Amino acid sequence: MDDSVKQVLRQIIRRIPSNKLRNTLSKWEHISKKQFQSLEFTQAKSLLCDNLLSLCEENELSMKHVTELEMIYRIEHPAQGSWNVCQLIDPEEEALTVDSLHFKESFKAHLKCLINHVSVKMKKHEDDALWIRIAWGDNFTQPNHLKPTYVVHNLQTPYVFVSGLTMKHRPLLHQALVQSGHYGAVKDVHLSGRCLTALRDLLMRQYKQVFPVKHPKLLEEKTPLPRTPCIEIEDTKHAENRMQMAAEAFGEGILPKLETAVYKLETRFKENEMGREEPFRGVVKFASSNLLESLKYCVSSGMASAPVTPLLSSITQKGRNYFVITDKGPGISNTPGPKI
Amino acid sequence: MSLKPFNKLPELNTANVLLVENEALFQEKLADAIVLLENNVNVKVRLARSLPLPLENAENRPRIDLVAFIVHLNSEQSLLSAEASLKHLDSGYFLGKVCFLVTGARCGTLPYERLTSLKKMAATLNSPLLMAEDKTAEGVNAAAQRVLAVLRVAAGLVPTATGLSLSSLTRCTVAKDPDWQNEDRSHLNQP
Amino acid sequence: MEEARECLREGVLNHLNVLETEALVLSRQQKLCLQQQSRVDDLRITVEKLRAHRDQLKARAKTTMSLQQLKAETDQRNEERYEDDNSEEGCSRTGQSLLSLLMVRRTRVKDLLQAHHLIGGYDVTETRRGKGVSISIATAFEGLYLETYCLELDLSRAVRICRHNIPPFIPLEKLAQVHLQTDLIGFLSTLSSHLNAFAGRRQQICLIQEVLQDSVEVMESNMLFNSVVLMCTDSGESRKAMLFTLVYSDLSRYLPTKVTIDSEDKVLPSTPQWKKSQSLLLWTPAHAAFQALKMEGQIA
Repeated sequence: MDDSVKQVLRQIIRRIPSNKLRNTLSKWEHISKKQFQSLEFTQAKSLLCDNLLSLCEENELSMKHVTELEMIYRIEHPAQGSWNVCQLIDPEEEALTVDSLHFKESFKAHLKCLINHVSVKMKKHEDDALWIRIAWGDNFTQPNHLKPTYVVHNLQTPYVFVSGLTMKHRPLLHQALVQSGHYGAVKDVHLSGRCLTALRDLLMRQYKQVFPVKHPKLLEEKTPLPRTPCIEIEDTKHAENRMQMAAEAFGEGILPKLETAVYKLETRFKENEMGREEPFRGVVKFASSNLLESLKYCVSSGMASAPVTPLLSSITQKGRNYFVITDKGPGISNTPGPKI
Repeated sequence: MSLKPFNKLPELNTANVLLVENEALFQEKLADAIVLLENNVNVKVRLARSLPLPLENAENRPRIDLVAFIVHLNSEQSLLSAEASLKHLDSGYFLGKVCFLVTGARCGTLPYERLTSLKKMAATLNSPLLMAEDKTAEGVNAAAQRVLAVLRVAAGLVPTATGLSLSSLTRCTVAKDPDWQNEDRSHLNQP
Repeated sequence: MEEARECLREGVLNHLNVLETEALVLSRQQKLCLQQQSRVDDLRITVEKLRAHRDQLKARAKTTMSLQQLKAETDQRNEERYEDDNSEEGCSRTGQSLLSLLMVRRTRVKDLLQAHHLIGGYDVTETRRGKGVSISIATAFEGLYLETYCLELDLSRAVRICRHNIPPFIPLEKLAQVHLQTDLIGFLSTLSSHLNAFAGRRQQICLIQEVLQDSVEVMESNMLFNSVVLMCTDSGESRKAMLFTLVYSDLSRYLPTKVTIDSEDKVLPSTPQWKKSQSLLLWTPAHAAFQALKMEGQIA
């Protein structure tokens, strides 16, 4: 084991919180059961790390094995860092039939073609998602394992979730993805957030959406009746209407956890009295621990007007949370978003 | 269509109160307390977020004897909504059948102007302004008692007292300031 | 009295206040008592209702039981009649007529359902004051209803899909490009066949995992369930592992277009027995085919 491996392992252990260390290490297959039991999880992290290092040295583990530990932790706890989404477009015929083995090989080969020093590691998660960890180097330096890029992709779906990617490496990754997945191009979806599962649920439409149907549920199920006959609520019908509209716009049950929505406004003053030529620019940012839930509450409680504006309902309908509003477009400009 | 006080016949031994609150936070608690407190007459409480009331209930709606607007001082929207709702009330109501209920007046950090403008509004409309506490059970009970007292008079259940006479005694007054009255009258769409 | 005097000493108003609060408390207690009484009455009524419901259900269960019995009897008798025609008749003529009546009713309902599907079978609701419609497409496999997918169309200008809950791996965009503007019914029927096929493929795998979990193992499948690898063991002496790769290249069908069988023993897949099962897999749903193979004792 050389020093760089040790450094990476130290870094990885430092990033994992102590209460999750035990669980993560138990899933790591490169130390034996006996060795795992010899570790003391009550002692300080630095001491534990030293012990672990000696065990690794004993087993002659390499960088490949060490990075696997990080991957295990990342897969278990995906809600870290910011995830961005891009969409693969113009699929070829093969895109629907490509299998994971073939994809893995071809992706590695394509990426290695583009850049000399790069380390790629892939793992298929239980829910069919393919996790890719990429450590980038350049033509003269070894791959930097301290700042890896994580990519999550479900084969047969056009969406790719990326975390920790620099602008420099973006075209490389996109090219490799397009070629190995048999697609025509790739584009940004303008959706980002911390919670990976939320982004995925939103785009794959796995959260519970509400559609107007002929036979809605019984009304009693939704609004509890007043307890005494002496109290009557005047606008129950309006309230139900509002609830239905809110549910149609944002969904029902547990909503995907988005943190922000950003609206960039770019407009010109109609009467140019001020003598200003340049457009007026403004940014509106909504932030919440669960943005969709908050917006839904605003609508259902009557704080926001009832037919939800397309600006807000576009978050779920178009699956994006970054918008640019200009004068020309009817409401929302045509900056590329995911196709519905 | 504005709500009218006398277009329906009264029912025997019954008093109807309409609680208008934009947020629907305090309404229900207050309604429960009111219903529980009164036992000599039939008190019916109707809850609404704002006026005008939906047309489809017009048939079944009894004569409303008192309209109580609940205003939370911690939200500007609450005040604006009450102000907008007032326009849909027939002028007959302002002869002793309207009262305002204010919560959160004790909180020092809230802008004082809101309470002042509310006071001015109540004063121009000759209506009483009641302060209420919505966080504690005792506060809710006390508020319910006060609303009930006004309601009994407004519904004509107290002999020798009328809503008009009561309101002339209990209406909100503001310290004399010759300027505000003209100002406010102009922008408040007063019936 | 003493108490009252004590209070009076503090003032008449105070005394009145005390009396009022006492009256309030008393009246509240009275009211609560009344409420409780009425609640008890309500509950009694509910009990009666539930009892009646129970009796109804009991009766229904009884009829179902007798119906099954009757059916078994008639089946048996039909067989008997097959053997000798002169067996006694008429003892349960009423039973038989009842049975046939019910059968007729069932067929009628089935026909109605089928007719509904034939004329389109979509639940269409108008939205946004006639500017849009919301269409739901139900999926089913072997008579079992699975998920219902919905899509909302905007009809104000050109037909446009504004939102839907169809999974992203269904090539919705491609289908929409072909059919949506010109032939809505055609679009819906192709979409429906895609969704039904997808639900069918997934259900087959689910059934295999449920019913045949100790003999067939699902090695690999993808989200679209269009390429599935299954493993089972040959029941022969050598107990060789057999690998089945099912490829569904026609996405609107729930049957595979290509089946390949691999094994460590290179000769085994080309034996006539396995050739037969290969063609069986092409024409029957996977779970049924493997169940048949298991019944025949071809796989362990």
